[in-house]
Amino acid sequence: MIESIILWLFAISAAPFFSAMILKVKAFFGGRKGPPLLINYYTLIKLFKKGSVYSTSTTIMFKLGPIISLGSAITVLMFLPIAGQQAIFSFNGDIIFILYTMGLSRFFTIAAAMDTASPFEGMGAAREAYFPIICEAATFMIFILFYRLTGELQLSAYFSGDNTIALWNLAGAPLLFIIFSFFIILLTENSRVPADDPATHLELTMIHEVMVLDHSGPDLGLIELGSFCKLFFYSTIISRLILPFDLGFPGLAFVLYLLGLALVYIAVGVIESIIARYRMDAVPQFVLTSFALAFFATIITLEFIR
Amino acid sequence: MGQFFISILIILFGGFFSLILVRKAKFAKIITVFLLSIGCLSGLMDAVLNLIQPGIAGASFKYLNVFFLAFRMDGLSGFFLVVIFAVCLLATLYSFHYMEHSGNDVRTAVNYFFFSILIASMALVVTAANMITFMLFWEIMSLSSFFLVIYKHHKAESRKAGYLYFVFSHVGAMFIFVAFGIVYGYTGSFGFDAMGSLPETAKILVFIFSFVGFGSKAGVFPFHVWLPHAHPAAPSHISAVMSGVMIKIGIYGIIKMYVLLNFHTPIFGNIVIVAGVVSGILGVVYALGQHDLKRLLAYHSVENIGIILIGLGIGMIGVSSKNPLMAVLGFTGGLFHVLNHSIFKSLLFMGAGMVLHKTGTRSIDALGGLIKKMKITGITFIIGSLAICGLPPFNGFVGEFFIYIGGFKGIALENSVFAASIFAIVSLAVIGGLALACFTKVVGVVFQGEPRTKAAVDVDEKGPTMLISMSILAGACILIGIFPQMIIWMPIKAVSALGLGYNPIDFESILQMTANITLAATIFLITLLPVIAIRWFFYRGKIIRRSGTWGCGFTQPTVKMQYTGSSYASFILDFFRPVAPLDEDHPKITGRFPLKTYYKSQVNDIAELNMKRVVVNPVLFLFDKLRWIQQGDIHLYIGYILLAIILLLVFI
Amino acid sequence: MIHSVDTILALVLLSILFSYGYSQLFRLIIVVGFQGIVVSIVPFFIGHDMTAGGIVFTIATLLIRGIIIPMSIYIAMKKRAIQSKVAPIIGYQASILCGLGVIVAATYISRQLNIPSISNYTLLFPTAIALPVTGMFLLMTRRNAIAMVLGYIIMENGIYLIGTTISVRALHIVEFGILLDVLAGVMIMATILQTIERTFDDVDTENLRTLKE
Repeated sequence: MIESIILWLFAISAAPFFSAMILKVKAFFGGRKGPPLLINYYTLIKLFKKGSVYSTSTTIMFKLGPIISLGSAITVLMFLPIAGQQAIFSFNGDIIFILYTMGLSRFFTIAAAMDTASPFEGMGAAREAYFPIICEAATFMIFILFYRLTGELQLSAYFSGDNTIALWNLAGAPLLFIIFSFFIILLTENSRVPADDPATHLELTMIHEVMVLDHSGPDLGLIELGSFCKLFFYSTIISRLILPFDLGFPGLAFVLYLLGLALVYIAVGVIESIIARYRMDAVPQFVLTSFALAFFATIITLEFIR
Repeated sequence: MGQFFISILIILFGGFFSLILVRKAKFAKIITVFLLSIGCLSGLMDAVLNLIQPGIAGASFKYLNVFFLAFRMDGLSGFFLVVIFAVCLLATLYSFHYMEHSGNDVRTAVNYFFFSILIASMALVVTAANMITFMLFWEIMSLSSFFLVIYKHHKAESRKAGYLYFVFSHVGAMFIFVAFGIVYGYTGSFGFDAMGSLPETAKILVFIFSFVGFGSKAGVFPFHVWLPHAHPAAPSHISAVMSGVMIKIGIYGIIKMYVLLNFHTPIFGNIVIVAGVVSGILGVVYALGQHDLKRLLAYHSVENIGIILIGLGIGMIGVSSKNPLMAVLGFTGGLFHVLNHSIFKSLLFMGAGMVLHKTGTRSIDALGGLIKKMKITGITFIIGSLAICGLPPFNGFVGEFFIYIGGFKGIALENSVFAASIFAIVSLAVIGGLALACFTKVVGVVFQGEPRTKAAVDVDEKGPTMLISMSILAGACILIGIFPQMIIWMPIKAVSALGLGYNPIDFESILQMTANITLAATIFLITLLPVIAIRWFFYRGKIIRRSGTWGCGFTQPTVKMQYTGSSYASFILDFFRPVAPLDEDHPKITGRFPLKTYYKSQVNDIAELNMKRVVVNPVLFLFDKLRWIQQGDIHLYIGYILLAIILLLVFI
Repeated sequence: MIHSVDTILALVLLSILFSYGYSQLFRLIIVVGFQGIVVSIVPFFIGHDMTAGGIVFTIATLLIRGIIIPMSIYIAMKKRAIQSKVAPIIGYQASILCGLGVIVAATYISRQLNIPSISNYTLLFPTAIALPVTGMFLLMTRRNAIAMVLGYIIMENGIYLIGTTISVRALHIVEFGILLDVLAGVMIMATILQTIERTFDDVDTENLRTLKE
């Protein structure tokens, strides 16, 4: 339990660090030196030092947005087994709670964006409302496969201890598709290239960034921290899926986990460097691919374990 | 059942008084609202007590010396009575200030009269114990609600809505008659209990006919066409009752028939799941495309009926595949969602009623920024929206959670069940996401941002009883969402009364689930505290400025530039274009400085479109051919009557 | 128990899935080439006795199927500067869902049939059914003539897969014969394409409708 809480705190505090790795990788591909790896901490400190300007159009929903989005991101992390350890909390069906808590944070992010009466933020909100629908279906598809394999409906049953290796033994190669599918979900849910470009300059083409245009100061800091945590959540799952080994030493598992995390973040960075973002109407198709992959993996796995 | 009948009588008296005392309108309204509330309260207490101590109470009266009017109260009807009386109580309360400036005392009085009849007949339908009684009160229910729909009968729109509703409810009733007729043909009795002895093919036929009949009342796609017309036409408290309660009577009918037929085939479960998924997804897609607030909510009723049906379908499949936990979870989830939906949907309709009352428009794109002036309405509406999206920690989540868990139980079973479960789970996920998109649209466009037209500028919120009943409902949404164990025993009792071969119910594991929901909700709420504390800490003593919204460099923003509901939804609707064809109307932009232009769009309901093509036109064609019967000559008509009597005498 | 054959076939199924969703013609060509290679190496794993001749034939098949045909189509596309979109009649998203449906249906049908001689490989029969259906689907729903040719090749891949699994003996000769036919067919199609393109300045088969009169 203590270990889990320490890992949870580690997750929240390390999330900005790992996100900076993406920037480093992008800089490497661009032939630049890139920002320091602690850049996100500097940004957060800078934001927390500042005051805020609120639009006259806004109401309490605008202030609730950052609180709920960070709150739900760190709540979700409590249910996640980090580095193969047990999660702080876990119960049968916690996956549903996790996905719907993310939905709650989405609701409030969108509501905060609509609160400003800005046409750009409305546009971003409309897109933010659309893509995660398919992502959610794909995520449920993945968990349907996991449930069929393990008979359990909690993250701990898939990602803690030896359970992930057991998953590999049961499903085998189709789990590769699941990893791909999950990676697509990661990219879409966290507004990365090719679904969205966090570094774009034109408000018309943004999804997530445009929704927080009006937030400033500590509010923006909370949102940023929340999105780091969200990315960390997905990366942890993929890290565990690609490196499920427990080699006996308690420290070694953690090192492997960090290695996996680094791999995921570097992969995100590489993708951002070599792929251009998709045209807006091609994004649903991209997300649908993740659903198709998960569905497909489920079918062929069922054929195997029959 | 004494207290039950007394409550019904009090309610009927209330309606009666409003007619008698029509001259003293103010006094009559106080008396009526008081009596209706007392009646509902007493009925509610009786129903709750009856659920706590499950005993089967019954009564029967002789009617016309031939038929028996028989009533019986078991767990299922007790559960529905709780829903009926609870929502009607708050709707009555709400109506007190809502009907204040109706301008026409007679119309108000008539409205209250039919409202009381509607409440009484709904309560009597769910306690009916034979087919005659059931059909009698079913028809009274349909007719009284028809008169409530045509409340504004001077408007053509209302008359059309009433006409559609009339046709649909009677064609639906015809299907139920057919189903009951088949049963009577086989058993020769009007009792419900004999239904179990039918041959299996007849059972399937009876179930399908009654599913169509009850489905048309519940608003199952494609029999939902009346719903988006009738709900906006009625006054808001009536919409709340119709959408929150009356359509659930259709659900009651479906469950009742399933129980009575006592035939555990997977066919029923699959039919119900498919109907549920189709209604759920299409309901919310059409809702996204609406511009009229109340029509949008009406389509959401279709969606939620879909969710309820998915739950029931999972339960039925659980029964047929002999998996007791799946069955219990499915039925419990479905019934729990019946209760939850009645709470948040009536809340939303009341909120919409307040908006309509104060701004005078139902058009979403004409509103904006209402939460600044209408704080309580806005906040309760947002709570209702969160609940209807099924988000934790609100009550909508609890029912969906049970349905999900039930569906996942089916994943572990053999292939046909597995396929149905995948279908159900993925559709539920999609429905949830679409509902979120739809309600962020409503909240964002109606309550947030800046007022788009003059109608939304000078508003206030007055009417204490309206605000009170909305606050009570919003409180219930939160309370049930965090502590579902307070309520969960009600659907459990109802499910155990179904007696589908899984008793005794594993109550412990269900309590464990509710405890988990409470735990999760508490964790979430506690996690918010440090975040709020951090935010407070960093804002301490800082200068907070207010200024205009950042226009991305544009310095002259106007309210017209805000994203409208239509544009918000268009992106998603594009994905569903094959099932939701969009009609657009706008002139071509010409010249360098085009001055005035307009844009109109309408999402077509394929059920409505095809109904005209497939049903209405052929029927019209057929009846056109029969027109020669009608000559306009009264003597001929008398001849017809004679002929009919002779034919009847010959056949009977 | 997972066979290496099944893993390969999973890749074939995956390529089917992608062929439904791609809008870029050259990607579709790559997918078809990949599919050709993967399908051709199935005989190595399926456990028939491989003679030297058999190995040569299989490798020749692999070369033609995986490299020569896709390359020639690609060159034809480049040379004629043909439009690079596949111009669907049914949208991409609907196509992906159709693809999922086809795979599910194929799996279901193969379970119903349950042919004993090939039931060692669970995915073999579903793949063999799904390939021709996919080819037909592409033929029916894509207006671009090259996409239609590719659909035809996918169909042939499926027929090859069925052939390899059901007939054990005179396998290679027959298959090779079929393959040569296909090669010839592709060449003829390329010629026809050129003609169409020269006549209409496009390879959109909708244009052929004007020939009706």
